[in-house]
Amino acid sequence: MNDSQLILTIVAAIGLGTPLIFATVGEIITERAGILNLGVQGTMLVGAVTGFWATFQTGSLTLGILASLLAGAAFSVIHAFASITLRVSQIVSGLALTIFGTGLASFLGKAGSDPLVGEPARDQFDAIISGGIADWPVVGPLIFGHDILVYVAWIAAGAASYYLFRTRMGLSLRAVGEDPASAESAGVNVAWVRYVHVMAGGALAGLGGAYYPLALVPTWQDNPIGAAGWIAIALVILASWRPWRALFAAYLFGAAARIQFTLQTLGEPWSSIPATILAMIPFVLAIIAMIALTSGKRARFLGAPAALGIPYFREQR
Amino acid sequence: MTVRRIIVEPRGLASLRLTLTVPLLSVLAALVIGGVFLWITGDNPFTVYGHMVDAAFGSSRGVSETLISATPLILTGLAAALAFKMLVWNIGAEGQFLLGAIVAAGIAIAMGDTIPAVLAAPVVIVAGAVGGALWAAISAFPRVYLGTNEIITTLMLNFIALNLMNYLIFGSSSPWRDPLVSTFPTGRPIPDAASLPRFFNRLDVGIFIAIAVAVFAWYLVNRTRWGFEVRVVGDSPETARYAGIQVPRKILGVFLLSGAFAGLAGALFVAGPVGALDPRSLDLGLGFTGIIVAALARLNALAVIPVAILMGALNNAGPSLQSIGVPPEIVTMLQGAILIFAVGGEFFIANRLRRPELPPDVLATGAAA
Repeated sequence: MNDSQLILTIVAAIGLGTPLIFATVGEIITERAGILNLGVQGTMLVGAVTGFWATFQTGSLTLGILASLLAGAAFSVIHAFASITLRVSQIVSGLALTIFGTGLASFLGKAGSDPLVGEPARDQFDAIISGGIADWPVVGPLIFGHDILVYVAWIAAGAASYYLFRTRMGLSLRAVGEDPASAESAGVNVAWVRYVHVMAGGALAGLGGAYYPLALVPTWQDNPIGAAGWIAIALVILASWRPWRALFAAYLFGAAARIQFTLQTLGEPWSSIPATILAMIPFVLAIIAMIALTSGKRARFLGAPAALGIPYFREQR
Repeated sequence: MTVRRIIVEPRGLASLRLTLTVPLLSVLAALVIGGVFLWITGDNPFTVYGHMVDAAFGSSRGVSETLISATPLILTGLAAALAFKMLVWNIGAEGQFLLGAIVAAGIAIAMGDTIPAVLAAPVVIVAGAVGGALWAAISAFPRVYLGTNEIITTLMLNFIALNLMNYLIFGSSSPWRDPLVSTFPTGRPIPDAASLPRFFNRLDVGIFIAIAVAVFAWYLVNRTRWGFEVRVVGDSPETARYAGIQVPRKILGVFLLSGAFAGLAGALFVAGPVGALDPRSLDLGLGFTGIIVAALARLNALAVIPVAILMGALNNAGPSLQSIGVPPEIVTMLQGAILIFAVGGEFFIANRLRRPELPPDVLATGAAA
């Protein structure tokens, strides 16, 4: 029963959705502060190469994950400085971050006399429970059979949700994203709050990136993450800026990414659909969902932070 | 002593010298950053940069290849510059470029050698522009009539276009695919009638078309009523509405024209140097590089030309670095860094920094000391 295609597909969707959860929750936190960061793709790649490298050097997965978090946070400071201190176009600055990060990760993977590319990971994330409850029908593989980061992703989504809606700091954060001038007059340091949350979002994106070469495909290859960073930006809107919904949106897209393997097992005519057509599914899904969710009057109920993408000038109070 | 904060004031119109200095410094700063990474990974940055200059400009073949690389970048740069000028965030030049290439190659192959070259090449080029505009329309109409965020839709359409091209070549036996090559699929060569004439090594007349379109775009934006209205919408949509400008129609027009520029780039690339719908030659990120071109040119259509040549030189030099053991991705890194500094530099063009003036008594004691 645990070998049925449905179970296998859901398990694969959870694996493929996990890095998307980290990146999406990170971007939700960033956008809740009013900063749009289109640099997620580049930040994930920098996190991926740093995390893989750190584990490769030390053999420690913990250090790899720490390195990816730090690299993501440090890398996103560039965007924070441009959009918060210099107040230039967040859209162009984010794109710049992605282009730079994409080039940097590829370069670091190939540079030097002993390049990383093609090297297997020295250690990888495996299921934390083998046998026992992990073999129970249905709930075993679906709930107990995952690696530690799958559970960390659940905790991250829950914690982010609690932080946003149940804590004082979360309230300040949302105020900064909705109406920075009012937040400032209520004693909130807008620039500081924005810096911290852009960096937190970057750290989570870096972690999401590292999940690919340390868990999903434990080797270093050029661009191991595909278009995950771009998908995450769409998922933020589909999740309407709520971390819990990001969990389900990410798994849905994980399933969409997995669909070609599932269809191949179903035999004709399903298995004859070309992979290139199936590869379009997540992107088509994102466009349809975007048009359905964000158009016209519905957009107002979606919950986009009102000050998202708008530079804040303290002097203009 | 009290800490003196720096005062930031908006500057009126920046001087020409400043608007030239900031982009030049951006390039220089990016070279320094790239140099640091080259040095860390064990290469001498000066050797690497010297090699790049030599590959891009050191021979007549180098120069012609640089201009070949620059041709599509002029057009994708214009696509971004025009759209961004009106705050239309068309991030989809990549996909519109590919659709232009797909449509152009399709029409060229369908016509075969039945139509004389004087007609065939223009038809193919216009078809490519229309293809790019139609691909942009998928994002433009929801943006204008439903308010759908165009950043996400144009981005997603890039990946759909890429997979569409891969489907036509790798996933099916479509008319675009070369039936004579079976081991590793590639595009069917377009007929000679649709190919652009070459005049300097491999360089074809596409470069003149791209330059002419840049001049046209500059004239359109800076010297026509349409362009004036576009600039008003870009500065303030509110003002534009009060002035009676039909903002939705303007956005639609700019969006489609932006897509047409990118589609034209794809068509010229297929009808010129590539000569087929070849995914390996077309999937180079030329749409994204166009955004860098536009930003460094500060959205000025004429400045797009020299900036595109600079980026084309970098793209051309990249692959040659493999011969000295340097990953060609240093080029993407440099281009990304250039964009980071160029967009950051906008702050210094838009604002003036100064120390606050000191109160008279402080000045007096200062003079006494």
